[in-house]
Amino acid sequence: MSSTAEATEETSGDQEEVATDERREALVERIRTELGDALIDHHILADTDLWIRVDRERWVDTGLFLRDGLGCAYFNFLSVIDWMPSPFGREMEAEVDADPEADTKEPEAMQQGVAGGDSRFQLFARVNNVIDHMGITIKTDLDDDTPSIDTWIPAYDGANWHEREAFEMYGVDFIGHPNLINLYLPTGFEGNPLRKDFPLLARRMKPWPGIVDVEQMPGDDEEDETEAST
Amino acid sequence: MNVTEQDQLSYIAAQAADSRINVEIETEGMTLNIGPQHPATHGTLRIVVKLDGEQVIAAEPIAGYMHRGYEKLTEVRTYPQVTTLINRIDWLGSFANEVPFILAAEQLMEVEAPPRARWIRTILFELSRISNLTLFLGDMGIQLGAMTPVFYAFRDREHVLNQIESVTGGRFHPNFDRIGGIKDDLPAGWIDGTRSAMTRIAEFCDQMEALLLNNEIFESRTRGIGVIPADIALSYGMSGANLRASGVDWDLRRDGGDGLAYKELDWKVWTHPDGDSFARFWVRLQEVREGVKIVEQLLDGIPSGPVMAKVPRIIKVPPGEAWVETENPLGAMGYYVVSKGELVPFRVKIRSASFNNVSIASWVLRGVYVPDIITILASLYFILGDIDR
Amino acid sequence: MGLVESGKSPKSLTTLLNMSRKYSLWVYQWGLACCAIEMGAAFVAPRYDVMRLGVIPLPASPRQADLVVISGTVTDKMAPSVKRLYEQMPDPKYVISMGSCANCGGPYWDSYSVTKGVDQIIPVDVYVPGCPPRPEALLEGIVLLQEKILNEDPADRWKGGPLVIDG
Repeated sequence: MSSTAEATEETSGDQEEVATDERREALVERIRTELGDALIDHHILADTDLWIRVDRERWVDTGLFLRDGLGCAYFNFLSVIDWMPSPFGREMEAEVDADPEADTKEPEAMQQGVAGGDSRFQLFARVNNVIDHMGITIKTDLDDDTPSIDTWIPAYDGANWHEREAFEMYGVDFIGHPNLINLYLPTGFEGNPLRKDFPLLARRMKPWPGIVDVEQMPGDDEEDETEAST
Repeated sequence: MNVTEQDQLSYIAAQAADSRINVEIETEGMTLNIGPQHPATHGTLRIVVKLDGEQVIAAEPIAGYMHRGYEKLTEVRTYPQVTTLINRIDWLGSFANEVPFILAAEQLMEVEAPPRARWIRTILFELSRISNLTLFLGDMGIQLGAMTPVFYAFRDREHVLNQIESVTGGRFHPNFDRIGGIKDDLPAGWIDGTRSAMTRIAEFCDQMEALLLNNEIFESRTRGIGVIPADIALSYGMSGANLRASGVDWDLRRDGGDGLAYKELDWKVWTHPDGDSFARFWVRLQEVREGVKIVEQLLDGIPSGPVMAKVPRIIKVPPGEAWVETENPLGAMGYYVVSKGELVPFRVKIRSASFNNVSIASWVLRGVYVPDIITILASLYFILGDIDR
Repeated sequence: MGLVESGKSPKSLTTLLNMSRKYSLWVYQWGLACCAIEMGAAFVAPRYDVMRLGVIPLPASPRQADLVVISGTVTDKMAPSVKRLYEQMPDPKYVISMGSCANCGGPYWDSYSVTKGVDQIIPVDVYVPGCPPRPEALLEGIVLLQEKILNEDPADRWKGGPLVIDG
């Protein structure tokens, strides 16, 4: 992982970049031979990172193959992304959260990130090969209304707590998890805090104090001054 | 089935398991609650252990007493505001928390910090490691009943904190790292001050070694206790000194990205084959020593030049996803930043080291004796803010 | 103590009593977050040495403590334990709230899981601002509390009304 893509081009030179690309391409090929059509998409950031997206049905198989077939024995993390745009309009200018019910404007279209996607909830996990120093981020799409998926514990023991976290934060059901209860939140907590439609009630009451951060600096041009004074 | 029913069922099942064991040896099972506020838990971890005599038959850590909702809050803070917040995840090595996030944002913005900023970042990163791990070395003694080391640790740690404070203005939460560089240059006379602080830390390491390492009580309480084999450690995603103490040669300072200046220096990654509490203590002791060496080398060769690259005043990060992790004092810490091209991040997944390191507790505590619970937890070394976020 | 409870103790006796209470504070450390380490530095580090103020930092249990320092973020999950801790302490008892989080929620003012100030659960005598406050700031807080103890009328504690004391 270099700090910038620009740095990659400058420091490592073309030859090395091609070489590492080949390394990651070869990995993708090995995964494709194992999983076949279950490998839906992949994305390579040259000399930096690799993303793959797999079919939900083959999630556990993918984990087992990564661990045994590719030597990615190191489990890094597992989490979920909610791709729904926030209904609260949290922008720099917004002093308080917008009320999603009073808002009449059309919600923005959902746009998934690297390696694509076609659902609101996307599960993603990362594993590393500590011998080859290679990391892979694996994504899979979950059902919009009742997200559920098989547990990854057979492949990686460490997934236990991460899945409990994803369960309480996003309401994802992990089938076969031995102890799927809240990890952080008190037992009676209602809602899934990290879903985009979960409101932060304190923000409804108080204006965002972050707004004062736009302060006048010496040497600012006229436009900024008028902006700040209004 | 709702959660409370599940709780009850697992409780009943556990009780039944207790009684089966107890029939054989005629003792009454006991459930011992440690925490949520206990000196040995570095804050507010709660552990419920089921005992059979002196032996643990099941242990379940209960986290969440310090859960502050970082991942949600990052979605409503601008990028510069996020660094203020994430300082407080691992509060003993605050500066180190900022670095991977800033590197991830820089990767998305395609900005690179000037060499001088990179070196100063690396120095501060290593100073936060030293100030963090010195406290561990002292604390490990106190968990075994030796009071002296912790006083030494607090005494010598102050010298490092002074150096951090004179650069950043904050003893604890510097909030000094910026996208594209660092906030300020080093103050005058700082390099000499840091050198003398490093001498003191090197002396401190020798003192710790003299106080603890050949002590019979220390050895017998840590050798062979809480052994974690390498494959289990990898499967739980343990990182940092805990992983290296299990014999896995994996250090992101050497094997990770080029964001910091480690690859230009001469230093060594220490591992230990045993995987027990002693190995974890020993590896950390060597890491503090190695940190002293790294800082001394860095001080010799700070490049000249600006400390800030050209970045817009109002920071908007282009759309994309970036994952950057660094070798923090507690282990690998990473940020998965998803940006939609706005002022605030769309999603920040924080991968903190202690979360994975502690999730192994229920595995490693099974079968140990009660006093060893404390030793093992102390040797795993976690910060509650780093577990609960 | 009957004299004290009746509220008729002579002024000189009250002052004597207060002075001795002021210089023998047993403080229970309720370390929760970052502030706990600064509290540790104030109470344990040789550099700050809290014992010279007549404060004894390591009681075995809250039942032996006169003062509790709530240092750090109080979450909704933790709040019942904090309340129970306070209830376990014997009267007269004092509370120092250390750091922005314990004072008002601090940087987590909009979080879904953080209690916005420990004073929603238990009464607080001295607030120490800062994120985290320096060890010196905590020592200053303790000195302020000692002044407050010196000036208070012990009988107020038995009258049952709200305590309003000028420090």
